[in-house]
Amino acid sequence: MNAVANLANLTSLNDERLLIQAAQSDPSRFAELYESNFNRVYAFVARRVKDREEAQDVTAEVFHQALRNLGRFQWRGVPFAAWLLRIAANALADRWQRAGREVPADTAELEAEAGPADVIEIERRAMLFQLVDRLPSDQRLVVIRRFVEQKSIREIAGELGRSEGAVKQLQFRALESLREQVRKSE
Amino acid sequence: MSNISVYDELDQAIDQMLAAPESALASRESTVGELVELAADLRDLPRANFKSRLKLELEWEAAGRKVSTGDTDQQAVRGVAPVAGEILPSLFGKTWAGYPVRRINFALSLALHGVMAFLIGAGFLMVKSYAPQIDPRPVVTVRLEPYIVPTGTNPSNGGGSGGAAERIRASRGVAPPAAREQLTPPIILRNNAQPRLSAAVTVIAPPDLSLPRMREIGDPLSALTTPSNGAGVGGGIGEKAGGGVGGDGGPGRGPGSGGGCCGDVYSPGNGVSIPRAIYSPEPEFSDEARRSKYQGEVTLLATISADGRTRDLRVVRSLGMGLDEKAMEAVRTWRFDPAKKDGRPVAVQMNIIVSFHLF
Repeated sequence: MNAVANLANLTSLNDERLLIQAAQSDPSRFAELYESNFNRVYAFVARRVKDREEAQDVTAEVFHQALRNLGRFQWRGVPFAAWLLRIAANALADRWQRAGREVPADTAELEAEAGPADVIEIERRAMLFQLVDRLPSDQRLVVIRRFVEQKSIREIAGELGRSEGAVKQLQFRALESLREQVRKSE
Repeated sequence: MSNISVYDELDQAIDQMLAAPESALASRESTVGELVELAADLRDLPRANFKSRLKLELEWEAAGRKVSTGDTDQQAVRGVAPVAGEILPSLFGKTWAGYPVRRINFALSLALHGVMAFLIGAGFLMVKSYAPQIDPRPVVTVRLEPYIVPTGTNPSNGGGSGGAAERIRASRGVAPPAAREQLTPPIILRNNAQPRLSAAVTVIAPPDLSLPRMREIGDPLSALTTPSNGAGVGGGIGEKAGGGVGGDGGPGRGPGSGGGCCGDVYSPGNGVSIPRAIYSPEPEFSDEARRSKYQGEVTLLATISADGRTRDLRVVRSLGMGLDEKAMEAVRTWRFDPAKKDGRPVAVQMNIIVSFHLF
């Protein structure tokens, strides 16, 4: 079983390496790297900033920097996500210093970096965010309205033209479906 | 526990979690607790369009377009329209649409518009301009007027004369009554005072003509008072022949000769009403006149008979270009409520003026 998993990881790393090489020669291929790493970077950043807007700003900054510096990236057998998370940690440290936090640069970087426990949590949340995109459209809509926009069941029912009971059911089914898929992936 | 209560329980727990994010979550052991914990993580989800917009921006940058990191691009990534309006930002490479902007497209569009403007301008210069051809719309008006006999140089008819070959001129008196036909010529000095068959003396003249009444008949133009039939012959009064009174001969009276009266055609007025058209289709414009934009009036003289039809049409004032014929062609088909005299229909002569106009 471990051999199979290692083989799968190796295949995945090889695929990623090919993708990076392709993006380095043709920047338009960067979109594929973006798609496979967006949720991971966003989940990492979102755990460290105070609100969604800031998380989005930092995430955008990370990918812009990554695209600009892609030519300098050297493959050393480490997943591309690690490089992105390093950029994100640096970006967060810079922000905190600019914001006037009384911490030395080194300390800020250490705070920003992801520890081993963080990595597991980041992967779990990244997967969760990705699973939301795969929900049925009505369930996904309820999740976005309820948790991102933080609207009440009554408001959502009014917008969707459905009863409050029906919206509660959709909310329940969406969360249950997400839980089941997270369990399976774990 | 029913499903309905699970939905409500979950919703209440989520409400609490959203209201107080820092408070302890429900027990993870329960189903609701696990779901609420999952829901807490979902609070960090990015906005729905953030991922796609950031991807689009990266594609632009990868395509070589310089992407500024100004406020507008940040707003674009967040899906927020710019607050301060820029003038045609897309011309300068910025957009909030779902597709990248390429400056070459703008250049091509500008060039194409320039070419089109040149072609349109050249068209105005090179093509000869003609005045718009307006199809003239013919308007034909018709009016009826009483026929006025034109003044002529020929001696008028209607007079008469006569006499009994006497030595002196006819004596003064009034002309005898007018009639349509004459049975007995007038006479002043009668040779037979008691004729076996008597008849009223008359002259041929319009019978409705009223003249002053005098006791003696005679020549109204004579100055003599001595009774005489005049030097003429053939009965009557006067110096000529014909059984009339005065004039140049004939059974009538007054100047002229031959007697004149009482054809069956009247002129409107003096108790004769004007006929009223009840069917009067308008004449057509002739093609020749329309092409030449020719217009004017045609005056026709027509007799409108007692049965309401037109006859004896004659052009009094011609217009030409085929319009005379068109006018006559139409007027021939007209029907009238005929003129009336003393309540009975009579024929009258009328001028029919047909106006052809182009507008």
